[in-house]
Amino acid sequence: MWTFGRKIAAGFTLAFLLLVVIGAVAYRSINSLTKTSKMVTHTHEVLENISEMLSLLKDAETGQRGYIITGDQPFLEPYNTALNNLPKVIEKLRTLTADNPNQQRRISQAEPLIKAKLEELQQTIDLRRKGDVAQVTQIVRGGAGKKFMDDLRVIAGQMDQEERELLAKRAEEVESAAGSAQNTISYGTLLCLLLVTVAAFTITRSLSGQIGLAVRHVQSSSVELQSTANQQASGAKESSTAMNEITTTISELLATSRQIAESAQRVAHIAEETFKAAKSGDQTVEKAHDSVTGIKRQVDLIVTHMLDLGKKSQQIGGILEIINELAEQTNILAINATIEAAGAGDAGKRFAIVADEIRKLADRVAGSTKEIRGLIEEIRAAVNTTVMATEGGTKAVDLGARQFAEVAAALKQIGSLVATTTEAAREIELSTKQQTTAVEQVNAAISSVAQATRETEASLTQTLQTATQLTGLSRELSRLIQPTASA
Amino acid sequence: MSDLSPIAKTVADLRNTFDRSYSLPPSSSGAEQVENLLALRLAGNPYAIRVTEIAGLVNNRKTVAIPSPISELLGVAGIRGGLVPVYSLAALLGYDRNGYARDASPARWLALCGNEDQVGLGFSDLEGYLRVPAVQIYAASQENIMGGHVKDVARVDGLVRPVVSIPSVVEMIQRRCGEIRVSPMQL
Repeated sequence: MWTFGRKIAAGFTLAFLLLVVIGAVAYRSINSLTKTSKMVTHTHEVLENISEMLSLLKDAETGQRGYIITGDQPFLEPYNTALNNLPKVIEKLRTLTADNPNQQRRISQAEPLIKAKLEELQQTIDLRRKGDVAQVTQIVRGGAGKKFMDDLRVIAGQMDQEERELLAKRAEEVESAAGSAQNTISYGTLLCLLLVTVAAFTITRSLSGQIGLAVRHVQSSSVELQSTANQQASGAKESSTAMNEITTTISELLATSRQIAESAQRVAHIAEETFKAAKSGDQTVEKAHDSVTGIKRQVDLIVTHMLDLGKKSQQIGGILEIINELAEQTNILAINATIEAAGAGDAGKRFAIVADEIRKLADRVAGSTKEIRGLIEEIRAAVNTTVMATEGGTKAVDLGARQFAEVAAALKQIGSLVATTTEAAREIELSTKQQTTAVEQVNAAISSVAQATRETEASLTQTLQTATQLTGLSRELSRLIQPTASA
Repeated sequence: MSDLSPIAKTVADLRNTFDRSYSLPPSSSGAEQVENLLALRLAGNPYAIRVTEIAGLVNNRKTVAIPSPISELLGVAGIRGGLVPVYSLAALLGYDRNGYARDASPARWLALCGNEDQVGLGFSDLEGYLRVPAVQIYAASQENIMGGHVKDVARVDGLVRPVVSIPSVVEMIQRRCGEIRVSPMQL
């Protein structure tokens, strides 16, 4: 596709070429006309020289006649002038007609005649100077001089006739060249006007179409640009508002960071106090652990004693079983003694009493052993309960000891963790201070960004105005290019 | 020391009672009649036997079972150098039949009966020795109680105990042994 410049250049090039052609044709015509005019002038110059040659010959004859008649020397002045100028004129004629062989031939014919005429004149003048007027008159009357002049006049007439013919011919050539140049210029101008008009129409139409399309594009783009600028202006306004909010938030964040730094400092201080307390608690727990270990030993001792007591009570129970067995055997013996005493009749009555008492004693022993057995059972139950309780106590003590150990470990871990916490709190304090500094920098940067956003907003407002103006201008341009289309 | 005081008191009571029994004269013949009973349990029920009707009382004697047509015979036991047939008193009273529950407890106690051909009546629990006034012993209102071996009942501490007649039981054993023409010793 041709660009605007190319099309315009093509149009101008066409016009330039036409102008060059017309100019060349005109130059050629004018050159030919000038040349032809020069030739006419040249012909006129030849005619003038021919005429001057005849005139000089007449002056020489006139001077000769005057001298002959008067004998006064002054009358020879035309003769002398002609005598001096005639060679120059003849030479000039020969030069001017160098391109014409006919004229050269005639000049060659004329030169002996001129020479003869001048010799006749010189002869007569010399005779007159000598005073021989009769000889002079005789010579004049002989008519030789006149014949020379007539011949010369014929030759000059021939030369004049040829030159005039050449003049007429060159006048025709001049007229023809002038007409050709006139026609060339007229028709060429008309053709140039026609071609330039066609080219201008074509270029104008093409450029109008393309420029109109481009202008419509520009118009559409400017409308879009206006819309975009509008949106961007709105966005920039929102960004500006958001930046203000961010600035406020960052200011609050800055205050919060400072509070956090102070809190972290307090936390570090409290963590140090906690570390000391944990260390003190660790020592206390170690003491308590020692105490619990002592309690455990005592409880173990109690358990051992209680188990011994249980064994002893079992032994007592065994012995009591023996006693009970003895009492039962005694009872059986007493019963049997009673039976035997009853079988012995009256003799056995006193024995029966003794046997009865023995039986009662055995009964009482059995009752006592029953009571003792009950007591021993209670003791054993109590011992078992105590052993179980002490075992529970042992387990509780073990558990307590383990828990104390766990507490000690936990306190040590707490101490370690508190140390870590202290370190972390210090790091947090330091980090928070750095963060505060960073937040201050961010705040400054955000302020700069907010300022830039405001400037962007102003710039976008300006852009919006420019886009609006551009839309108007494109509409105007469209109206200028295509009035009907824009209407 | 306060816990020991009741024991010391008991010991003192025992000593006083023992001393008093020797300080009093023997009871006269006209004094209050008492019956000496052995309180025992058969198949869980309270019974009593008269001390005067047995020849001796032993316990924890090994009884060796022997085959016999008499189902109440538990076996024989060595008593004072001789072999004594041992019968289950509860079984003899009919606890193994007639709808009564069987006395499954081992016969830990043996009441020796008879003079020449002694038999042992085995029972599981001996509850004690009872001295019961004769007025508290009543004749059984019904006959043929427990195979006719209970003729009296004794009221002791609000509890009525049937009094098993050992001679009746021994007579039944001898009769049944006679019925199969085998002496008790031959069993």
